[in-house]
Amino acid sequence: MRARRRTSGRRSPLWPLLALPGAVWLALLFVAPLYVVLAIVFGGVDPVFRTPLPVYNPLQWDATQFTGVFSHIIGPNGYFGPALLRTAVYVGTASLLCLLVAYPVAYYTARLAGRHRRLLLALLIAPFWISYMMRMLAWVNLLQTDGLVNRALSLGGLYSVQIDWLNGRSLVVVLGLVYGYVPYMILPLYAGLDRLQPHMLEAARDLGAGRFDTFRRVTVPLSVPAVIAAVLLTCLPMLGDYFTSDLLSASPHTAMVGNLINNTVLTPGQTGQAGAFVLLVLVVSLVPMLFYVRSARSEGLAS
Amino acid sequence: MTAPSVAGLRRWWENPFRPPRFLQLMTFGYLVWSLLPVIIAVLFSFNAGRSRTLWQGFSFRWYWGDPIRSVWHDDTLHTALVHTLVLGVLATAITVPLGVAFALGIDRWRGRLPEGANFVMLLSFVIPETLLAVALLFLVNQIVTPLQLGTSAQVAGLVTFQLSYPVVIVRARLLTIGKQYEQAAVDLGAPPTAAIWRVLLPMLSPAIFASAVLVFADVIDDFVIVRYLSGDASSEPTSVKIYNTARAAPTPALNALASLMLLASFLAVVLGLVIYRWLSRGERDVSSLDSFAGGL
Amino acid sequence: MPDEPPPRRTRPIPRRTFIGRMGLAAFGGPALLEALAACAKSTPSSGSSTPGSTAAALTIASPSTPVTWPVHKDDLIADGLTPEKGATLQLYNYADYIGPHVVKAFEKKYAAYNVKVRVSTFNDTDEALTKIRTGKSGFDMYFPSYDQISKMVSASLIRPLNHSYIPNITNVWPQFSDPWYDGGWHYTVPYTVYTTGIGWRADRITADIGPMANPYDVFWDPAYKKRDAVIDDWHTAMAMVALRAGLTDINSTKPADIATIQTQMLDMQAKTDPKVTITMYNDLPAGQMDLAQMWSGDVVNAQYYLPKGVKPDVLAYWFPEDGKGMVDNDLMVILSQGKNPVLAHLFVNFMLDTKNALDNFGYIGYQPPQNSLSPAQTISDGYVPKNLGTAVVKQEWFTQGYRLLELPPDADAAWHEVWQRFKAGA
Repeated sequence: MRARRRTSGRRSPLWPLLALPGAVWLALLFVAPLYVVLAIVFGGVDPVFRTPLPVYNPLQWDATQFTGVFSHIIGPNGYFGPALLRTAVYVGTASLLCLLVAYPVAYYTARLAGRHRRLLLALLIAPFWISYMMRMLAWVNLLQTDGLVNRALSLGGLYSVQIDWLNGRSLVVVLGLVYGYVPYMILPLYAGLDRLQPHMLEAARDLGAGRFDTFRRVTVPLSVPAVIAAVLLTCLPMLGDYFTSDLLSASPHTAMVGNLINNTVLTPGQTGQAGAFVLLVLVVSLVPMLFYVRSARSEGLAS
Repeated sequence: MTAPSVAGLRRWWENPFRPPRFLQLMTFGYLVWSLLPVIIAVLFSFNAGRSRTLWQGFSFRWYWGDPIRSVWHDDTLHTALVHTLVLGVLATAITVPLGVAFALGIDRWRGRLPEGANFVMLLSFVIPETLLAVALLFLVNQIVTPLQLGTSAQVAGLVTFQLSYPVVIVRARLLTIGKQYEQAAVDLGAPPTAAIWRVLLPMLSPAIFASAVLVFADVIDDFVIVRYLSGDASSEPTSVKIYNTARAAPTPALNALASLMLLASFLAVVLGLVIYRWLSRGERDVSSLDSFAGGL
Repeated sequence: MPDEPPPRRTRPIPRRTFIGRMGLAAFGGPALLEALAACAKSTPSSGSSTPGSTAAALTIASPSTPVTWPVHKDDLIADGLTPEKGATLQLYNYADYIGPHVVKAFEKKYAAYNVKVRVSTFNDTDEALTKIRTGKSGFDMYFPSYDQISKMVSASLIRPLNHSYIPNITNVWPQFSDPWYDGGWHYTVPYTVYTTGIGWRADRITADIGPMANPYDVFWDPAYKKRDAVIDDWHTAMAMVALRAGLTDINSTKPADIATIQTQMLDMQAKTDPKVTITMYNDLPAGQMDLAQMWSGDVVNAQYYLPKGVKPDVLAYWFPEDGKGMVDNDLMVILSQGKNPVLAHLFVNFMLDTKNALDNFGYIGYQPPQNSLSPAQTISDGYVPKNLGTAVVKQEWFTQGYRLLELPPDADAAWHEVWQRFKAGA
């Protein structure tokens, strides 16, 4: 409160008052829960029920659970390592594929679609309004052994195709992730490409650059911030995803870090481990998150 | 579908490798890929048989015909639908005022405290949802709060996760409005509260409304937070129901439930769009769809 | 990450963010917060809610060490109370593990009291117990196995039964009115009996699994890679692995045994990469898998999930003929957090009624231990298809079979660690 008087001077107390409810809400329901995670990870475990006994005073923290998890990530007993590596590979591949799909689509819609642009945009936004679970359910149905995909592949009964798509195939999980998250990438890309100043591109053309050269030398570099934002917005939620793998595979061989969290959250004695994984993902995603926050702010200042 | 008109096809035939043709094809392909599975899922909600993969004739069996398993007769299915909408309304009703006030306050109030709060808000925008959901579950389980697993915890969690939407959208709008209108009102003798209420809020109304629609649509599609924070079956919304049942033994009733949800979503969006256009009438250069997209 | 110099008060652009400062702002709160949290620290998680349980020892029941749990008279409901009016009886159960029409019949029977029944579901009993302990969801009834009973009694999570409401107990196998896990049936009545064996699609797997020297070997046979599944329950799946390795103590606390199980589990994963799920009753008939560790009730239930035109004789099930496999029973218990104890008692009695029990059997496929239901009758009355006769549970198996028991905390942790490793797909 002291800060207010110093910096706002002639300002009325109205602004702090307006901001206060939201700030308190975030403190109680965003910062405090993350602190409870810390208290659980560095807390104890009930000897009988093996439920977590959170310790709120950092001076009494006990790192046993935390180091326990980390000793199982690398080394001879590192059974979490492969799942973490798998998460990185899945998320990386899926993000890349998303970008390969989303960039041309967003580019076409923003720059070349002409009079169809609105309709196209509406159709592109549509998957965003359809619940993720419904879109996954659609694929679960299609990929059944007697589902339409196999039937389409059998060319109307010409061959018998009995591929069990849903039995622990990494490819299916990655494609599921791409399908699920690509709308989240198209929209920010579209917004970014749409904002490109036409006169920059015209200038490039006037200076003799061909269509492709203009794209390569002007459009792509100018769209880099949008690409980065779009990739971050897509891969951050993917890092916590467990349901895609659950629905499309249910095999431990496609478990991601989200599955490790989800499997242990309510398991006696392992809640602390779930918390440790939450912290791990949080720390890993903190760098991209800060990056995003920074770019979001500098953009806010620029425009 | 838009892309290959007849003339377009002919031009493509003449030179298939011109980049726009490739892009057209790509866009068209993407649309088919992204929408066709959902359309098929909706179609199968009208299947007369129990199969979700084999068409056995058209019927409304899974909507209301079946006396036990249809959406209408199966309590668990329609409570899921109702609960989803309840969560959507409650969360939107809390998120939007909270967020708009926060945006106004944070925009004008200078200092470390508001900067810190803004930073935390932006973090809440990009944090992987699972992390927030688990943290909230721990909070509810470990600390004595008025929140209980079920509707109260779900609404609290959703508001936390969605709060950044109205803040980001309203602040973007505040930037374009500038301060001159509000200043003029104050110069003319209006107290600051009246300046906000009479001048700023009406100008912000399209942005506020757009954020409300976004929040609502996002909340009714939410899965991670509502699943972790659900209590008994009465607080399991559609997405959770779909997840639980899709792993077990689904019938086309599940497709019917999902289709109804889809309908609700689209009604909300279309209605939202119409109202949005009306609210922002007279402003030039506002393409409503673009603003909707830009909000992301 | 950009490393900015410490902020000056007179920066020209005051809105500019500095990561370090923000970090400070974000973490400056917790000092205050921590004080707050410490005040609000909850008690229900301490586990010492009952006197005497601080000794960190659980009494563990087993067939060789039967237990009779103490009953506090105050916890019993009085005789002859009228049911709660306009109440919603909350059941907490596995998915598809109670017949909706049976539930409707109960509602109808007590329609005068305007009773509603709500079924909430869980994925595994670990998760369920955690939610019961922490949540205040007000569940009235829970359908666990006996492997959680000592925890539930010692934390006062379940309510002793007033026998005067449950005359139908005489309908069930007599052993269940004085079971080793609950002498004098103070807290539990039986719900279903089941074995855990192997189910497969006879039309897709040519080998006859039953007569093999060690049928469990199929889960290690690369021929079935990605076509098999094990039950998503740590103890059930790991006990199968123990039996395959010849360890008949499926509740072993010996580190060497647990190590053996771990090696075998990982070996199984490497060789056949089984799915881990509890939805075999749908996936096997739907053709999503050809071979699965299965509960007998699930394979019986699977007949209702076959696609149109496929006959039940494509289903097959193996369980050792001498009964030397996993034989268990599930229970009905009344939770003390429930608000409708009288209705809950009435529901227990309702489900023990022979007609209702059989109706339920016809939907869930899990056999009720009813005296009047002979093994032959399960087939002749059409509850179990002829080719699944192996899935019928015989009463005598309860003396020869192996039970999944509660484990002492340390061993429990060790078993869970193996399971976690398996599920991480390392």
